[in-house]
Amino acid sequence: MSVYLDYQAAKPVDERVVKEMLPYFNKDFANPASLHGHGDVATEILSQSRKKVADFINAPDAEDILFTSGATESNNMALIGSALKNKRKGDHIIISEIEHISILNIGKYLEQQGFAVSRVPVDQYGIIKLDILKKLITDKTTLISISTASNEVGSLQPIKEIAQIANEKKILFHTDAVASEAVIPIDVQKIPIDLITFSSNDIYGPRGVGALYLKKGVRINPIMIGGGQEKGMRSGSENITGIVGFAKAAEIMKSVINEEASSLKKLRDKLISGVLETIPKSHLNGHPEKRLPNNAHFRFDYIEGESLILSLRDENVSGATGSACSSKTLEASHTLLAMGLLHEEAHGSLLFSLGRFTKESDIDRAIGVLPGVVKRLRKLSPLTPPEFLKEYK
Amino acid sequence: MKSTSYSEKVLDHFRNPRNVGEIEDADGVGKVGNPVCGDLMWIYIKVGKNDKGEEIIDDIKFKTFGCGSAVSTSSMVTEMAKGMTLDKAYEITRKDVAEELDGLPPIKMHCSNLAADALKAAIDNYRTGAEPEVEITTSCQLDTQLILGVEKFVGKGVYKEIPTNLEDLKDKRILILDAGDESLEFALKLTEVTNRVILLTSAKSIPGSVELRMKLKQSEVKILQQSDLLEIIGQLDEVEKVLIHDNDEDENYELTVDAVILLDYRG
Repeated sequence: MSVYLDYQAAKPVDERVVKEMLPYFNKDFANPASLHGHGDVATEILSQSRKKVADFINAPDAEDILFTSGATESNNMALIGSALKNKRKGDHIIISEIEHISILNIGKYLEQQGFAVSRVPVDQYGIIKLDILKKLITDKTTLISISTASNEVGSLQPIKEIAQIANEKKILFHTDAVASEAVIPIDVQKIPIDLITFSSNDIYGPRGVGALYLKKGVRINPIMIGGGQEKGMRSGSENITGIVGFAKAAEIMKSVINEEASSLKKLRDKLISGVLETIPKSHLNGHPEKRLPNNAHFRFDYIEGESLILSLRDENVSGATGSACSSKTLEASHTLLAMGLLHEEAHGSLLFSLGRFTKESDIDRAIGVLPGVVKRLRKLSPLTPPEFLKEYK
Repeated sequence: MKSTSYSEKVLDHFRNPRNVGEIEDADGVGKVGNPVCGDLMWIYIKVGKNDKGEEIIDDIKFKTFGCGSAVSTSSMVTEMAKGMTLDKAYEITRKDVAEELDGLPPIKMHCSNLAADALKAAIDNYRTGAEPEVEITTSCQLDTQLILGVEKFVGKGVYKEIPTNLEDLKDKRILILDAGDESLEFALKLTEVTNRVILLTSAKSIPGSVELRMKLKQSEVKILQQSDLLEIIGQLDEVEKVLIHDNDEDENYELTVDAVILLDYRG
């Protein structure tokens, strides 16, 4: 039995989505820009799809949705596009210390281009410090970009409060909603957010497609220049097949999101208590309550995460780690360090993320194999105190 | 290449490591690596003589904290060295170990391939007759004059005496400097209001009286040994980070904290 608990990294495409997409590979394949009848079919399906994605976040107008190639592109558009547009107003942008790597690196890029970028610190649970955010704002600040939730430890960010602060100060507010879009509904008519990044795959749609929600009246510069598609904001022939899949995924997600989130939460809570109860010196990273309902992020004293993932792989259980040893750069997770964890603690971290197809038996299996795997590695580790090993059942 | 793209041989040694453990009356002990970087290896050797009267490695054991390749290289080096003369074993290089394992992912060649170094350290330890490391339990006196930023942040996250109201420190990430038993007791007390208490000491092992050491070991207090506080860093009049020097590795690194407690301040 193989157990997949890495939904934060990639999700399978829902069968219903695949079925919906199939005709658009070779039957209704035309370019919406063409004037012939085939092109009209494509124009129509593009507009229907846009409506479905807009409905997913209760956007008042389907035209507020711009299709992109995915979350990274949407983030680039939002940050670079608004920084360039507002350059004369100010050159200061605020992000947080625990943003997804794409936002962090765009921040670095903007600094190289002469912009000033501040990073809001977080508390020990990985939640941004609102009071510091307020103090960081200057009259040169043009954009605040904070994700809805940490993609690693799952801590939920005070989006409503940030939106309010930004609104009062007349600063644009962008949020990357990818980590939460499959489990927490967003209603843009309730929370005043100017720009939102979405990914199709994170709601069980195909990869290579995403969207940027751009509130009416918000102006940014395009960063993809070409034939003027997407109202000139994002050139390049529309990925109709992908967009159809994305729209179907959004439609399904909207109808099941609350129900799915509450059943995932039950499974997650079972996983968390199962692990913490059976493994001594194990800890939950992130906030105990204010966390994504599908996120269980642990750390285990005395052991290292890559060897943990390798051992779990032998048991056919897939998870993720924030250990430096598993990353390309050999740096420990920036999120865990920003929360104040020591390097060696960050090394011993393990993320299990659950999703639509997670079964209770998957959770049971993970709880079943983890104690043995952790124990074996602890026996190998010189950091494990001998007296602890002696009493280790 | 992905870090987990290991050869079958690496995976075999990871799954079934050879010669795991410690040798209580070892003749030589080699310790290399740093848990901050994610790799730590300890190798124990027992030295004997062969028929020709040459010194050989009679027995060898290891313990390793680290990634898959760290475990595999440790296991492999013990297998290679067992029965070898000391001179031969001393010549084993990182490259030899990697080759015996049918190669390592390039990114792992340096960081996790310390086993040959650990073996050399164990042989050096035997040859120089150096005492196996003795636990130093006394704390070095704190010299706060060397810490930058103390004055700037007093009252803004830096405490020079025990705060009267513990609630001020609720859920905070706190760094407390080892300044004798009073500071250790306070570190333990802090765990009642927060689960992020870090005790910094320049000692090589857990400081304090026997009783306090036991309590600290069982507590949630994290202890950073062989370390000095260099600087307190923050923006907007609030402590955000500290710069720490790891004396063992001779390296500096930053740590995110909300408060710093220096009880023995004489700056």
